[in-house]
Amino acid sequence: MFKQLIPRATARSSALRSIQHPSHVSRLSPSTSLLQDRIVQRRGYATPAEEKDLVIIGGGVAGYVAAIKAGQEGLKVACIEKRGSLGGTCLNVGCIPSKSLLENSRIYHQIQHDVKNRGIDVGDVKLNLTQMMKAKDTSVSGLTKGIEFLFKKNNVEYIKGAGRFEDQNTVAVDLTDGGNSVVRGKNILIATGSEATPFPGLEIDEKKVVTSNGAIALTEVPKKMIVIGGGIIGLEMGSVWSRLGSEVTVVEFLGAIGGPGMDAEIAKSIQKTLAKQGMKFMLNTKVTNGDASGEGVKIDVEAAKGGKAQTLDADVVLCAIGRRPYTQGLGLDKIGLETDSKGRIVIDSEYRTKIPHIRVIGDCTFGPMLAHKAEEEAVAAVEYLTKSYGHVNYNAIPAVMYTHPEVAWVGQNEQELKEEGVKYKVGSFPFTANSRAKTNLDTEGMVKFLADAETDRILGVHIIGPNAGEMIAEGTLALEYGASTEDVGRTSHAHPTLSEAFKEAAMSTYAKAIHY
Amino acid sequence: MQPTRILRATRQPLIKFLGKRNVPKNIDHTPHAHPAAPNDSLPESFAQYRNRAIQHGPLGGQQQQTGQRAQQQQQQSSASSTVAPPSGMEPYGGIGGKSGKQLGDIQPAKGQFFDRDELPARFRRRPFSEAEMEAVDSAGASMW
Repeated sequence: MFKQLIPRATARSSALRSIQHPSHVSRLSPSTSLLQDRIVQRRGYATPAEEKDLVIIGGGVAGYVAAIKAGQEGLKVACIEKRGSLGGTCLNVGCIPSKSLLENSRIYHQIQHDVKNRGIDVGDVKLNLTQMMKAKDTSVSGLTKGIEFLFKKNNVEYIKGAGRFEDQNTVAVDLTDGGNSVVRGKNILIATGSEATPFPGLEIDEKKVVTSNGAIALTEVPKKMIVIGGGIIGLEMGSVWSRLGSEVTVVEFLGAIGGPGMDAEIAKSIQKTLAKQGMKFMLNTKVTNGDASGEGVKIDVEAAKGGKAQTLDADVVLCAIGRRPYTQGLGLDKIGLETDSKGRIVIDSEYRTKIPHIRVIGDCTFGPMLAHKAEEEAVAAVEYLTKSYGHVNYNAIPAVMYTHPEVAWVGQNEQELKEEGVKYKVGSFPFTANSRAKTNLDTEGMVKFLADAETDRILGVHIIGPNAGEMIAEGTLALEYGASTEDVGRTSHAHPTLSEAFKEAAMSTYAKAIHY
Repeated sequence: MQPTRILRATRQPLIKFLGKRNVPKNIDHTPHAHPAAPNDSLPESFAQYRNRAIQHGPLGGQQQQTGQRAQQQQQQSSASSTVAPPSGMEPYGGIGGKSGKQLGDIQPAKGQFFDRDELPARFRRRPFSEAEMEAVDSAGASMW
């Protein structure tokens, strides 16, 4: 009975068989008798809920992937989600809807500014924002319903409601449709995700002062928009509204845009490109105050290191200063689970909290807040339960910014290598020298490799350019396998493709690129 | 053909196929700090909880050992906020250090029995609530 930390489907099923056949009862061992008592008792009033092998709190990317994987592994699994639709922030108000808006706004912008020289004459081009939002909603609803189908396919019980810990094995659920329920689990997985960090002094109303949630659902194009925070979310959403006609100003406290991880050279390059597209940047600038009481919003800013203050006016202000773990209402204090200074639940290398059968994955614990990182953790966490091993390489998690051109990277950047004192070599290749980019008339950007100076092992890949988000997969695979730039350079890449730029950048690291 | 042969003789690709995937028989499941965590060690509460959690059954023998270890650890790290495992010892208590299979039989030894009240709370009888007693007294009528 002390092995309840791991699922024991076999033991339980044999015990159940014994109970169904009373003739076996006399042969039950003492511990099995206890098990029988528990099962019989479970049928009674006091404990109406069946015990699951795994109860997952949160149906976002981390939670739903874990649920499906657990279902595939044969575990009895329940997934509790309070939003009313599965997929969490990513599918409902994050990655997916923003990608829909980014793609459609890019097409709109391209038709307006970039089709004449391609030999396409168009008439009057008008924006139908309502239809654009409808297209976004269609994508979202299709995907979220797809997950519900996958739940059914993999025998996952989907509980719509807000879960909170009653004790270490019991989760009480306030059901969305009213009423309460209780779920008991041998193992519990917390995957409650994150929420946008509010900016102190500015009340979020999701109309004039918005987070990313509101920025994907504006009902009209604001004339002026201020984005507080020049990270990935701010730049993506700033891009959308800039393309649709808004005058966007990005206010960033640090001296560079892109956030942590982005290579400084790439960050400078994308800033130039976005500025060319019409976005304005105020770097090394802090927001000191905000006032949304009037018709618009007034934002007081000054130089980060102190300087002359000025007031900026906007119709909409987007707060994109980061995200924080969301564990509110979970009842962590009830079971004595602790969070660190940033609100992340503390776990060990196998995602276990100090209570070993309660594990945590995704945004509400350590590591970058990325959907694909959460997916990896979800699979690994379930494999730790069922196979006793799992794998996530935190050094090979790609990051992508879906502006145009896209920016993507994996591994270390130059700043980090310099800090660590690693001797490295750099190789790069511009898309201006790539045949496919030339034919596409989309030549902005480059591919950059960082490799160990002695062994040639790839340490980081940084791409700015068309399709960078897809291309980084090859870099991630190379990094995961411990490849050298020569390994990549000697691998055939189809012609004419953008991926040839990837190969040639690798070649330029250990030898010389052919076409540049 | 010839250039390829020459090339293969001089170039050593870093990517190598390691063969069919094998899962090691002994995987260390002792708690270690998460690779993306800001600290290299786990909070003291991990060891404290795990040492307290192991009380009975086949883990009992281990518990005594780990209890002693925990005491040693606490003495050694009384000034610090984190516990560093002494060399050669299982860090952060015994739980998770071995798989359930390795821990042996869960049945009590012959002639021994587990007392329900000594079991962890989730295995004990649940107290009757007022509502449940009322339901029994009223033959279920109070539930409707």
